[in-house]
Amino acid sequence: MPSAVNINWYIALSSILFAIGALGVLLRRNAIILFMSVELMLNSANLLFVAFARHLGNLDGQVLVFFVITVAAAEVAVGLALIVAIFRTKKSINIDEINLLKG
Amino acid sequence: MNTFGLAPLILILPVIGLLLNGLFGRRFVEANPANGERLTGWLASLMTIGAFLVSLSLFLSLLAHGFEPIIVPLFNWIDIPSAGFLINWAMQIDTLSVTMMLVVTGVGALIHIYAIGYMHGDPDFSRFFTYLNLFIFFMLILVSGSSYLVMFVGWEGVGLCSYLLISFWWARLDKNGVPANANAGRKAMIMNRIGDFGVILAMILLFWTFGTLEYTGVFPSAVEMFESNHMVAFGGLSVPLATVLTAVTALFLLGVAGKSAQIPLYTWLPDAMAGPTPVSALIHAATMVTAGVYLLVRSNVLYEIVRTSGATILGLISTPDLVAWVGALTAFFAALIAFSQNDIKKVLAYSTVSQLGFMVAAAGSGAYVAAMFHLVTHAFFKALLFLGSGSVIHGMEHGHHHLAHAGHGAAQGSGGQGSAAHGSGTGAAHLAAEADANQVHGNAASDEVADGFDPQDMRYMGGLRRRMPTTFIVYLIGSLALAGIIPLAGFWSKDEILLHDQTYATPIFIVLAIAALGTAFYVARQLIMVFFGKPRHAAAEHAAESPALMTTPLVVLAGLTVLGGLLNLPYLTRAMAEANHNHPAGIFLMLESWLEHSLASFALAEEGILALPRTPVYLSVLVATISTALAVGGLLLGYLVYRGRPRTSSEPDRLARTPIWWWVVLPLNSLYMKGFVPAFNRFSVWLADKVDWAFWHDFVHDRVIRDIFVTGADFSANVLDAQGVDGLVNGAGKTTQRLARGLRLTQTGYARTYALAVFLGAIGLLVYFLLMAG
Repeated sequence: MPSAVNINWYIALSSILFAIGALGVLLRRNAIILFMSVELMLNSANLLFVAFARHLGNLDGQVLVFFVITVAAAEVAVGLALIVAIFRTKKSINIDEINLLKG
Repeated sequence: MNTFGLAPLILILPVIGLLLNGLFGRRFVEANPANGERLTGWLASLMTIGAFLVSLSLFLSLLAHGFEPIIVPLFNWIDIPSAGFLINWAMQIDTLSVTMMLVVTGVGALIHIYAIGYMHGDPDFSRFFTYLNLFIFFMLILVSGSSYLVMFVGWEGVGLCSYLLISFWWARLDKNGVPANANAGRKAMIMNRIGDFGVILAMILLFWTFGTLEYTGVFPSAVEMFESNHMVAFGGLSVPLATVLTAVTALFLLGVAGKSAQIPLYTWLPDAMAGPTPVSALIHAATMVTAGVYLLVRSNVLYEIVRTSGATILGLISTPDLVAWVGALTAFFAALIAFSQNDIKKVLAYSTVSQLGFMVAAAGSGAYVAAMFHLVTHAFFKALLFLGSGSVIHGMEHGHHHLAHAGHGAAQGSGGQGSAAHGSGTGAAHLAAEADANQVHGNAASDEVADGFDPQDMRYMGGLRRRMPTTFIVYLIGSLALAGIIPLAGFWSKDEILLHDQTYATPIFIVLAIAALGTAFYVARQLIMVFFGKPRHAAAEHAAESPALMTTPLVVLAGLTVLGGLLNLPYLTRAMAEANHNHPAGIFLMLESWLEHSLASFALAEEGILALPRTPVYLSVLVATISTALAVGGLLLGYLVYRGRPRTSSEPDRLARTPIWWWVVLPLNSLYMKGFVPAFNRFSVWLADKVDWAFWHDFVHDRVIRDIFVTGADFSANVLDAQGVDGLVNGAGKTTQRLARGLRLTQTGYARTYALAVFLGAIGLLVYFLLMAG
């Protein structure tokens, strides 16, 4: 039986990871890094799910993590394809240059 | 067996005619002028004749059906099930509506046939017949509708047709470059709108009070409410039924004044003579203008309730009395104004106004059958006179063409510079018509207008009885009927009106009697100026009789004018009434016993519920003597004054100057001529020029009504519409644009902005739910 780590630590770590991810999405310009930040946010959520599952002794959280991973994989596949397509047309993946959708 | 199922046909047939003529008529006429005209003209005429035959079958069915009214429903017009609001479009076939149908389609058919000859060569031949059929259609809706609302559809429709046909030659300008025909059409439209406004308000009041506009609903419940002293609630205000009906009947009178050209809205009718002559005969003499009289007769129960209740307008006069006085004064003044007219059609126009006054006066004093009787006989003889005047004009134009061909045109026009006083507008229009007709016939006769000749001006006529014998004889019959000479139709119907008023309303009887004298006088003046004496213009010397297509309807109408009195002949009516008394089915028929079945107030008067003054049909020797004396006296007076006059077309009117020898030869007469006639003439001229034209036409109508209307229209167009309504609409557009411009700024196109928005939104939601949970 591993020593039980207080749930608060998990919440703190998860929050920090989520904040890093969110700031990365908001501040970085490179589309690949944006993606990695999104993944980071998803995984911070996964961490929290697992931690709570363990803490509450309920497997629902663990099951949900699989769904999240699956969706994330699909999302990466679509997202990377988009980035490749954008790169082919614009020779750049700087998302500030992808600004055609304005009023 | 009955044929009430055929009733919708009277509406369908004219529609077929107007659709065929409206869609294809022009092509027929352009493809082959002679056959095309015959085709479109006869198509329209046959549809009207067909409607007449259906009306006849309805008449026979009513006989077999014991005269009881039949409602023939056509379709649900306005149906709002949730509100329980249902208005049916139905036809009420009763003795009154069938009488009107027979007159409208019968006289209408004759005028259609006449118009084929009259309109020959007009470039808009098919358009004319389309409008005529449209008119017949709407007129039949008016008389056949089973409710005030359906009647009002027809009422508006005939107004539209009147407008279309008055301004039929809308593009023509008079010598001042004014589009007189188009203006006359507009005037008729606006005058009638004033009257319609009254009818609409009256209908709203009726609907408020009775919850229906069906005749079969309004009249019985009006009587019931009247008997039970029902109070009508207007919000918190409770008003006696008689007061409401006073308002309704007074508002109806406004509509009648507009449609039937009564004081003060009569001015459009003389102007309406700008239309082609068959239109003047059909719409502005025989049928449409009688719609007001029809409305009065149809609403007899309402008027009689007001009469019985003794309710008055501001304590002054009750509405039936007001109707009678408006009619009597119109009859009187219009007859006087007719004295000073030189345009042959204007004389007839004022005469129509005057005769409509007789009918309205009769309806107002409770002589509903007499009003309808006069309506029918007047339709015969006035249509005859108008068509006769059209024949005269046609003949004069023919004579004038003849001159142009013979090459002695303008020079022989003896004194052509006589100014055509009031007829100038229409006269010039007719000259333009003539020029058009010439082009159709391939003759350019542009110099014809130069001598100021006017084919409608009676001062250029004279001696036409030799040139146009058929027209002369039928015109003479029509004129004598108008004057009220026994045994022509006009005598019997006018006599019945006079008899009723002599019994019940002596002041009105006196006014009408003077009007009858005046009628005979202007009839004599017109006959002498047109048909007797020597021709005063070369055109009159060469005038020619009109074609048979035109004279045949004239002869038929003349026959009706002679025999029309039989419809309600006193002795015959009495004999028939006695025969009916002995006969269980009561099939012996005179107008009186026929119309009785539609006039609910007659039965109610017998039950003692309503106090309707009723005169049995009989020949009062006193009244007949008075009216014959007035007619003969008026004709004689006219003969004495106008015998052999005017000698030239520029000679002033006989009433305007008196020669010296009258003093020597006929002292009494000359006293009359010196003293009374000039004064009277000045009065008549003053009435015509100042009161009628300067005051009513120019001041009240052109200044007051038109200026108020123009100012109002200007205000609505430039201030209300341009700034108010447009401002509102454009403002809505501008606000949207400005808002969009601001909102567009939020769409930067940078993904991070959207991400930030989503992020902040998520945080916002989170905070909200946390706070709510806390």
